[in-house]
Amino acid sequence: MLSIKNLQARIGEKEILKGINLEIKAGEVHAIMGPNGSGKSTLASVLAGREDYDVTGGSVEFQGKDLLDLAPEERAAEGLFLAFQYPVEIPGVSTTNFMKSAVNEIRKYRGEEPLDAVQFLKMFKEKMSYVNIDQSLLSRALNEGFSGGEKKRNEIFQMAVLEPKLAILDETDSGLDIDALRIVAEGVNKLKSPDNATIVVTHYQRLLDYIVPDFVHVLYKGKIVKSGGKELALELEERGYDWIISALGE
Amino acid sequence: MLYTELTSSAQKEALERFKAKGFPTNKWEEWKYASLKSWNEKDLDWAPSALNVASSAVLQSQNGLTSFHGALPAGVEFSSFDSFLASNPTIAATWEQRFPILDQNSLYDLNTALAVNTQVLWVKAGVTVDQAITHDFIVSAAKASAVQSRLIVYLEENASLTLIERAFTIEGSAEVLSNFVQEIYVNEKANLTYVKEQDLAPNTTHIDHTFITQLSDSQVDLFTFSLNAAFIRNNLHFYSDGENVVSNLNGLYVPGEDQLMDSHTVVDHRKPNSESNELYKGVLLGNATGVFNGKIFVRPDAQKTNAFQSCKNVLASTRATMNTKPQLEIWADDVKCSHGTTTGQLNEEALFYLRSRGISLANARTLLLLAFVQEVIDRVEHEETKLRLTDKIISKIQTSLAI
Repeated sequence: MLSIKNLQARIGEKEILKGINLEIKAGEVHAIMGPNGSGKSTLASVLAGREDYDVTGGSVEFQGKDLLDLAPEERAAEGLFLAFQYPVEIPGVSTTNFMKSAVNEIRKYRGEEPLDAVQFLKMFKEKMSYVNIDQSLLSRALNEGFSGGEKKRNEIFQMAVLEPKLAILDETDSGLDIDALRIVAEGVNKLKSPDNATIVVTHYQRLLDYIVPDFVHVLYKGKIVKSGGKELALELEERGYDWIISALGE
Repeated sequence: MLYTELTSSAQKEALERFKAKGFPTNKWEEWKYASLKSWNEKDLDWAPSALNVASSAVLQSQNGLTSFHGALPAGVEFSSFDSFLASNPTIAATWEQRFPILDQNSLYDLNTALAVNTQVLWVKAGVTVDQAITHDFIVSAAKASAVQSRLIVYLEENASLTLIERAFTIEGSAEVLSNFVQEIYVNEKANLTYVKEQDLAPNTTHIDHTFITQLSDSQVDLFTFSLNAAFIRNNLHFYSDGENVVSNLNGLYVPGEDQLMDSHTVVDHRKPNSESNELYKGVLLGNATGVFNGKIFVRPDAQKTNAFQSCKNVLASTRATMNTKPQLEIWADDVKCSHGTTTGQLNEEALFYLRSRGISLANARTLLLLAFVQEVIDRVEHEETKLRLTDKIISKIQTSLAI
């Protein structure tokens, strides 16, 4: 589904990704872990198409298409979704209002008929139950005055509505208490299917207790320096990152 | 010029003052960013012929001739200024002592000299006019012209009125300088809602001078929506001359390519315990120029005044320019006044967020700009007007962003 080959990217003069290789197949959950500043969020941003970064080398193929060639909105229409670490507050725009635009623009891209108000109502109602979010929150200005938990639940609600092929969760656990974390994780798990894949970017292991990965990758200084199964996350939790770094001879 | 037709000495004097000064140029302090200098060199028709445009509005001004169509609502009168004064000796006796027109910009003089058809819309004491009165303000001329229009709105005590003004140009018109003066009196406990929609041709210059005097316990909600014209200048001047007066000034301007929109507002607090709230917003498209100059005076007697002013602008193009200047002059010591102006671009992070959900860049920008302007539009209670304005603004923004 996703094939990343030797991906290099920088912001300004600073090189951040220095050759990432990663293969993701449908049905898989991959965790990207690593110390602060290792490039985890940059990888998520580059995949979603954030323009602050310059891709200087390598390739990313997503379902047979050159992902790096697509605008952020085209990536979304192709089935990519980024759950933001810091969801943006947008005064005057409600979640339901902009999600209607988003869904119908994506449907148009795919040559599908737009949904009408009744169909939206029904669909939103179903997806709201996934993350235990209520209508009043979705009618309010996007993320304005939302608690940390509400913001992240709203992200997963949007993911449920858009039904992406590949979801990238960027530090979705940050700023969440244990109850909110559980709700968010349950939402993600309900959306899991053999046809879609998930990348969980996280600093801590605790989210992986709830969203169990098939593969764990350690990112350090812009490269994946170690990959393993879910047990690698537990080992990192116990021993930290230092043992991996010293094994690299640094 | 039609000097010979000027009968009153006041008109002749006003014309002399205008001739001495001419149209404002950017050497004038109040016209620094919005010069009308080029009009001094034009060969103008100073009295373009009457129009006969079909309109469904009850109140119509066609090239400066204002008339009322259909039955007048109960308690409303419409008459010439002369007969209004004749039937109101008290007002007539004090008319010349009304507040000075502070804006010495020569265009007021030009209007005084050449406006031949001053009409009065007069709402009697205690009368609430249920249906909004729609005013179609139409200009059009075969050759370059200056059109003078003048209207007086007089609300007696406890009267209540909603006025919806739609200023527009007939297609195919030559360039017109439309110079519109209004004097509005809102007496004790009276209530006026006034929505101005300025959607004129790309070769029309529209100058609006609106002077509003409010007495105790009155409220005015004024909206100025500047949508299209080569050049729009709004001189809006409130005299808050009573206690518990509420003056709400709302403005939204969306100048596009080669358009200039200038809002000069004055709120003059003269008595204690009153409030004014000013919210102006602008979206500047293409190479547009915007100007906001907001003055607030709080006179020594006007203790306990609450006066708030906010002006926020989005430059939707790198070629657009916005000039803002808030001016507060406060002589009373127990008042609450605040002002703030901001001018910036759309939030890049918000744009990326919307795009990451599948919304195209143009639609994301439209969505954010619409959210920005909605705050002003939403304050309009007249539903039909609100929807019409929303449609017009969306379509203007979309067209501009699509280029």
